[in-house]
Amino acid sequence: MPASVQHWIVPIAVLAAWEAFGRIGLLPHYLPPPSAIAGAVLEITRDGELPRAMAISLFRVSIGFVLGGGIGMLIGLGAGLVPGIRHFFDPLVAFLFAVPKIAFLPIFLLLFGLGDESKIAIVAFSCFFPVFIASRHAVLSVSRHLIWSAQNMGAPPATMLFRVFVPAAAPELFSGARIGLAHCFVLLFAAELMGLQGGLGALIVDGDNAARFDLMFAGIVTFALLGFLGDRLLMAIRRLVLRGQIVGTVEQLVR
Amino acid sequence: MTNVLRLAARYYSIPLLLVVWQAAVVSGLVESRLLPSVGRVFVALVRDIGDGVLPYHTAITLGRAGLGFALAAIIGVPFAAAMARSTLIRNLFEPIFFFGYPVPKIALFPIFTYIFGIGSPSKIAFAFLECLYPIVVTAYLGFRATPLSLIWTAENMGTPHTTLLARVILPAALPSIFTGLRIALPISIIVIVLTEMIGDSRGLGYYISVSGTRFEFASVYAAILVIGTCGFVLDRAMLALRRAALHWEPGEIGADV
Repeated sequence: MPASVQHWIVPIAVLAAWEAFGRIGLLPHYLPPPSAIAGAVLEITRDGELPRAMAISLFRVSIGFVLGGGIGMLIGLGAGLVPGIRHFFDPLVAFLFAVPKIAFLPIFLLLFGLGDESKIAIVAFSCFFPVFIASRHAVLSVSRHLIWSAQNMGAPPATMLFRVFVPAAAPELFSGARIGLAHCFVLLFAAELMGLQGGLGALIVDGDNAARFDLMFAGIVTFALLGFLGDRLLMAIRRLVLRGQIVGTVEQLVR
Repeated sequence: MTNVLRLAARYYSIPLLLVVWQAAVVSGLVESRLLPSVGRVFVALVRDIGDGVLPYHTAITLGRAGLGFALAAIIGVPFAAAMARSTLIRNLFEPIFFFGYPVPKIALFPIFTYIFGIGSPSKIAFAFLECLYPIVVTAYLGFRATPLSLIWTAENMGTPHTTLLARVILPAALPSIFTGLRIALPISIIVIVLTEMIGDSRGLGYYISVSGTRFEFASVYAAILVIGTCGFVLDRAMLALRRAALHWEPGEIGADV
């Protein structure tokens, strides 16, 4: 059996068993079969509820990601290049990194209200840390030989930054952004589940409260799909930017 | 003296931030209900540790996180080895781990609460799932990256299968295994606190959300301090364990962050 066929065995078997057991009524009421979930997705797509919730969630996660990731990357690059910046941020990040950022949600809710702002702020806040750590580490692990050679040939600071540090650090910057993006989706989901102001999280809670489990699953599947596609998009951009740079490394395996 | 200065130069930002915080509260720049003074956070911390509330919730959170993490490590590492060594297992499960990796699994948590109930089991099961992915994927890449020349050399000298696994493949993959464990450890705590905030009556996450709705923000900050300290100590412990287990390998560059 070719590998490409074997790849599909487990997912298809799970879906088929799920559907079959659902049809003959062996599954509990909170696990609607895949066909019912697909029907629910169609239903709320047609009446506009799903696209609306998706737009709200996408808006929050993308603004939060760009803000938190951008700031994290800038300060991370700064921390890698300037010891003073590094020494200021290192202890703070070492302490705050291990704290679940969702613990700050009560504070953010009071600061920014129940709407978009508090969700964007907590998403950006959680995205900052992995991106900062990866960027800092990326700059610090740029090969000394590259730096010394460029300096030896009289490269000015701007050239050093844009032609040496950033290109050499680029693969790891993307790894950091990828982890950051994953954090963004987790935080967005938790914030929407608790903050309850529109978005896919609220859609899932509504389906749950109304015991419409097909609607709940429709929200869950859509959210999972958004996270997956966001990651794919970031990886596609990465492949475009890093053409030829990742051949023959472990990263090639991770696609 | 120079040691003191060096310590001060490295860690000055935390006391500096505390001073700025205190100054901002005292001068009335920020609403003090939202940002209680450093002193009031400290009082809340000592009070809640003294009457046993914080230790109780911390023990529950750490117990759940530890159980989920341990289960994921015990099941994940052998599974990764099996995936690396057997083509059939690899072909069956590789897509689930590689395509499932970027899926935000938190979206599945509502289903977990239905299957396992609202208490500890659903949280432990969810922490297990969230820890399983980084542990399996990094360990798998480590097992796959074992140099074939090492394996061939050992096989050539007639090494039996179990010895090959224990003396060649496992040590070669150990750095990757520890990297995965180090990624997964804070995830277990994060996931437990997060799910406790979504719904429970015990644990630090519950303590934070209840204190938040009562506007007792000194207690929220106290809990954040406790979680941060636990995470920091556990990460150091994991690094120490790694150094002890990998005595032949130099430490990671920049691993002290």
